[in-house]
Amino acid sequence: MPVTATVTGDGKKITIHISGEFNFSVYKEFREAYQRSAQPANTTYVIDMAGADYMDSSALGMLLLLRERAGGERSEIVITHCNPEIRKIFKISNFDRLFKID
Amino acid sequence: MAEPLPVPLPGAETQSALESAAPAPLRFLIVDDERTNLLVLRAILEHAGHQVIEADNGANAVLAFERERPDMVLMDVMMPVMDGYDATRRIKTLAGSHFVPVIFLTALTDEAALARCIEAGGDDFLTKPYNRVILQSKISALLRLRELYWVREKQRDEIQLHHQRLQQEQTLAERIFSKVVHRGCLDNPAIRYLVSPVALFNGDLLLAARRPSGGLLVMLGDFTGHGLPAAVAALPAAEIFYEMTAKGYSIGEIVGEINHKLKSMLPPELFLAACLLELDVSGASLAVWNGGIPDVLIRDANGKTLRRLPSRHLPLGVVNNSGLDRSIELARLDAGDRIYVYTDGLTEAANSNGEMFGDQRLSRCLAEGADDPYALLCATLARFRGDIAQRDDITLIELTTAAAGQVAATDTSLSVVPPHPPAHWRVTLELKIDALRQAAPLPPVLQLVTELQALNEHRERIYLIVAELFNNALEHGLLRLDSALKDSPQGFAEYYRLREQALAVLADGWIEIELAHVPRQGGGRLTVQVRDSGPGFAGQAFPGSAGTMTASGRGMALLRSLCKTVVVHAPGNHVEVVYEWP
Repeated sequence: MPVTATVTGDGKKITIHISGEFNFSVYKEFREAYQRSAQPANTTYVIDMAGADYMDSSALGMLLLLRERAGGERSEIVITHCNPEIRKIFKISNFDRLFKID
Repeated sequence: MAEPLPVPLPGAETQSALESAAPAPLRFLIVDDERTNLLVLRAILEHAGHQVIEADNGANAVLAFERERPDMVLMDVMMPVMDGYDATRRIKTLAGSHFVPVIFLTALTDEAALARCIEAGGDDFLTKPYNRVILQSKISALLRLRELYWVREKQRDEIQLHHQRLQQEQTLAERIFSKVVHRGCLDNPAIRYLVSPVALFNGDLLLAARRPSGGLLVMLGDFTGHGLPAAVAALPAAEIFYEMTAKGYSIGEIVGEINHKLKSMLPPELFLAACLLELDVSGASLAVWNGGIPDVLIRDANGKTLRRLPSRHLPLGVVNNSGLDRSIELARLDAGDRIYVYTDGLTEAANSNGEMFGDQRLSRCLAEGADDPYALLCATLARFRGDIAQRDDITLIELTTAAAGQVAATDTSLSVVPPHPPAHWRVTLELKIDALRQAAPLPPVLQLVTELQALNEHRERIYLIVAELFNNALEHGLLRLDSALKDSPQGFAEYYRLREQALAVLADGWIEIELAHVPRQGGGRLTVQVRDSGPGFAGQAFPGSAGTMTASGRGMALLRSLCKTVVVHAPGNHVEVVYEWP
């Protein structure tokens, strides 16, 4: 499965693991994963990129969708374990201003 | 009856078409050289309500098939002139994709001969003497198969028709799109570009237009996704770009307007990575706003150094204007500098091993390309990609500094409107300190001039004159900045930083712009006066009046070349110039 989600801490934290290519082909799974939170605005989301090799701009779009659901500027979204290629894509798009990138 | 296939075809229609086909009498071609066999077959078929066409050998069967186009064929094998195998092959060729079942009726019983029936294109066989019930069952089975083919063919035709219609619509839409998006001046000699879209509608956006001041503004955009959604969103972005560029708005203002439009229009997951570049008329400086596009590269004349202007901003359409950073970066250019900007489709283009083109190959081409790095880069990329299918749109632009001020003959980015008859008018605009901080008074001033006198052909020159006088008054008259700073590359950026700072802390001040027009023989005379509240330059040289080609010296030389007279009134805070047209 390219996208799996684990919910911890009374549903207050959702960790979404991405593997392989993070692009439009996993749109449905990604959306289903973050929709598992009952109170989206009170949830911390962790996107774990440890297994992701590559990401394109449609993945950035999906992260924006998640951000919108999670309360926009008040959202708590952390992106972890990015490889250098993915880090570069975040850097060029300056998405580090919208998401915490570890 | 097979279930309708999951294609966009109304199920009811399929159903009724089949029902109406079933009871219609079918036409059989029966082929045999034995008269009695034909008689027996005819009796069986006519009894079942079908129509019959006869042929007494293979050759006549082919002729009859061509003439009558029957629904099914019953074929003997051994016949004079042409045997059943040959006749079947020809009939199947004539039928093409249309399914006409052929049943072989043969006295042969060896397996090889029967296998040949199927090889020749036959759909079934029956050995003589045949059982009437079995023959009728085989006919029924093949008719069912034929109906299935019939539905499939009809659906295929519908899909083809649908596809054709869609293609026509897309082609038409593409023409409208091109008219709006490609109306600029990409044929300007300063620009070379490579555009390689994945789909008919490009997800990359490349726009270029000339400034009223003669400078060149280029925008490279990369939408999330390709095709129609990108094209729909590209239309308003292009409109705003061309309108505001022609009116002389700054890069920051254009960026703000496009961002506002896209943010209100696009769903959250769609955005536009974009880079706006402005090359001034002399080709001496480059202003860049980069939001999500790879580094802008400036290569010096001999390929020794590569300066980078990285993306400093979020793409357009992501955050509201309150969260948008409109600040630009300035780079000083030297003669022979070349500027490269590209979408990530270029560095991510893959070869047959799945390897990406990458930054290193790109840098190497630019370093090694001698007199024409652009050509080397394009050729290297084409060789690298081979005929591998493209994953993303690719756009690459090269800007050269020398040709920035030149205009292509076919440039339509500035429309020509005949001038109104020359008239008398005078306008005065006084800008107080808060208005000065809010920036950009020039576009409305220019708009006023062109509305009052429709001096469109002179618009660029008038803009240049007013801009030069205004900037002189602001930067030297009020802010007291030293233009010598602009002569070094580091100082250039520093100068604009100081300008920003000084403007923010300036307690008080004003600038007055006065434009007066009077008719003269065959045209008119425009007098432009700019006064500022600064102390003037008593006892010092007026900035830029020295003969050296310093940045502001260039400004003064420019004024003298454009205007009939240039007068600096004492103590130096009041400049008056006269511009005559035509």
